[in-house]
Amino acid sequence: MGQTPVVEFLQVQLRINQQQILTGLNFAIEQGQFVALLGPNGAGKTSLLRLLQKEYQPSFGQIKLQGQPISGFTQSELAAKVALVSQLSGPLFDLTVADVVLMGLIPHKALWQTNTEQDLLQLKQSLELVGLAHKELHSFAHLSGGEQQRVLLARAVMQKPLLLLLDEPTNHLDLYYQHQVLRIAKALNITVIASIHDLNLASRYCDRLLLLNQGQLVADGTAEQVLKQELLTEVFRIPCLIDQNPFGHCPRVSFGYKDDL
Amino acid sequence: MSKVLLAALPVPLRLLLAIVLLVVVCLLALSTGSVPISMSGLFGLAPLDEMQSTVLWQLRFPRLLLALLAGSGLALCGALLQNASRNPLADPYLFGIVSGAALGATIATIVVPEWQLFTPLFAFFGALLAVFLVLIIGASSRWQRLESLLLCGVAVSFMLSAITTTLLYLSEPFAANRVMFWLMGSLSQASLTHVALISPLVFITLLLGLLYRRQLDALVLSDESARSLGVNVQPLRLIILLLCAAVSAAIVACCGGIAFVGLMIPHLVRSLFGLSSVALLLGSVWLGAVFLAGVDTLSRSVLPDQELPIGVVTSAIGSLFFLSMLFKYRRG
Repeated sequence: MGQTPVVEFLQVQLRINQQQILTGLNFAIEQGQFVALLGPNGAGKTSLLRLLQKEYQPSFGQIKLQGQPISGFTQSELAAKVALVSQLSGPLFDLTVADVVLMGLIPHKALWQTNTEQDLLQLKQSLELVGLAHKELHSFAHLSGGEQQRVLLARAVMQKPLLLLLDEPTNHLDLYYQHQVLRIAKALNITVIASIHDLNLASRYCDRLLLLNQGQLVADGTAEQVLKQELLTEVFRIPCLIDQNPFGHCPRVSFGYKDDL
Repeated sequence: MSKVLLAALPVPLRLLLAIVLLVVVCLLALSTGSVPISMSGLFGLAPLDEMQSTVLWQLRFPRLLLALLAGSGLALCGALLQNASRNPLADPYLFGIVSGAALGATIATIVVPEWQLFTPLFAFFGALLAVFLVLIIGASSRWQRLESLLLCGVAVSFMLSAITTTLLYLSEPFAANRVMFWLMGSLSQASLTHVALISPLVFITLLLGLLYRRQLDALVLSDESARSLGVNVQPLRLIILLLCAAVSAAIVACCGGIAFVGLMIPHLVRSLFGLSSVALLLGSVWLGAVFLAGVDTLSRSVLPDQELPIGVVTSAIGSLFFLSMLFKYRRG
């Protein structure tokens, strides 16, 4: 008997307003895997992440978290196991970096409990992990986009999740921060599901790639198995070439038309 | 700059400064007025005559307590609503509370004058009716969406104001004047009964705000972010709205319309003390109390033998405050 998968999708379908968003999703994600969700706009990546946060309920099928139906978890119980890092529009009211990271304690603290020495130590460790220990008392709103994403990662670490969801974590970040955010997420050594647009970042950092197209899972496997020229051309509707990334020794995808050559 | 200076002070010193300012305002409020009372009289070091004693204990003391509570309550509600709605312009009156209270007061004064003694009670139920209407209309248009709720508040506010204006237009001028004066806000009718009505509401709201401090902080970022941390966003927002409605309705019923306190004080607190919910809520309670007690003292001492409506003074200060903020932002 193997270990219970962290996440299981069993014939999951999702319909919203008579529109089929996801169809027949059937897969399991094991402990410690770093999984990329790939696909064009409207493929269903964000909807899949929302199913894992119980923002949407499947119209058919079942989702299990550590073998338990996710529908049986309360919002708070779910937050103790699943953390989310998503894009933020600049907050209207500012908070300090420490305030934001300490929010990670919400699922683990009763209302009347105050922060302990242990919590503050964990706050420092979480910020050290993302390289922002020196910005603990800085204003969150005044950080760069990359730094804000790292603060949210530190918050997710504070949440001590079983599963970390990253919703397009590298959007609007420059190259340096794109790599840095994914390197940090990988170094956490927990199960991660990341919705990513950049196939080369997924290839470089993720153990497993799930390729979605029109709500269906069209490929599932390692970068070598999923990043195939014919499949990607069909899914993204643009010709591509695949070669080797000299840095990570993983597949590298280049999109373009023949006349571009 | 002021924030940096305050932040540089150790916490005990900041607390000491806050307490000293509160005590100074309270002493000024108790000693100032048409019947002056000396500091030595206040501290029992000099005897008070009968008139002074009556003024102090039956007029100024309940009035000071009501000013402190109403200021705290309005500022607290403003802070809670601004955080919960992520709208820096949200304030307790945004949901038609004043219009509802005005309608209640108008009905008590004009339609059923024999019930005029119960004007505060009518105003209270008028304010609650406004919030009830906002929630009912909002529910049918997905009240979960903040924008819908705010638009409902504006719509209900205009609707109730239109009814009030019609009633005032059709009434005799003397009765209309009474309602208008009441709407300008005044603490002159303050009594310990008012204090007893408002204080538990303010206390419960503050306590719940402090208990849910982390959740309120989480709401500041985004609904999705808060939900991912296990916060039940919509129930929490509804509880905050109902509590703030009850507190504001009670304050409006006892003191009439006192505008700008709920809008202005949280902004001031954010720029002075910091931004987490604990600092914001406690700071708002303190500064709201100091501000309204100070303004009330000013409003009853600025003109000889006459009292300015407190709502007029808070509106004047509030508009100046927001103009100064506008110029500050322009300068960048």
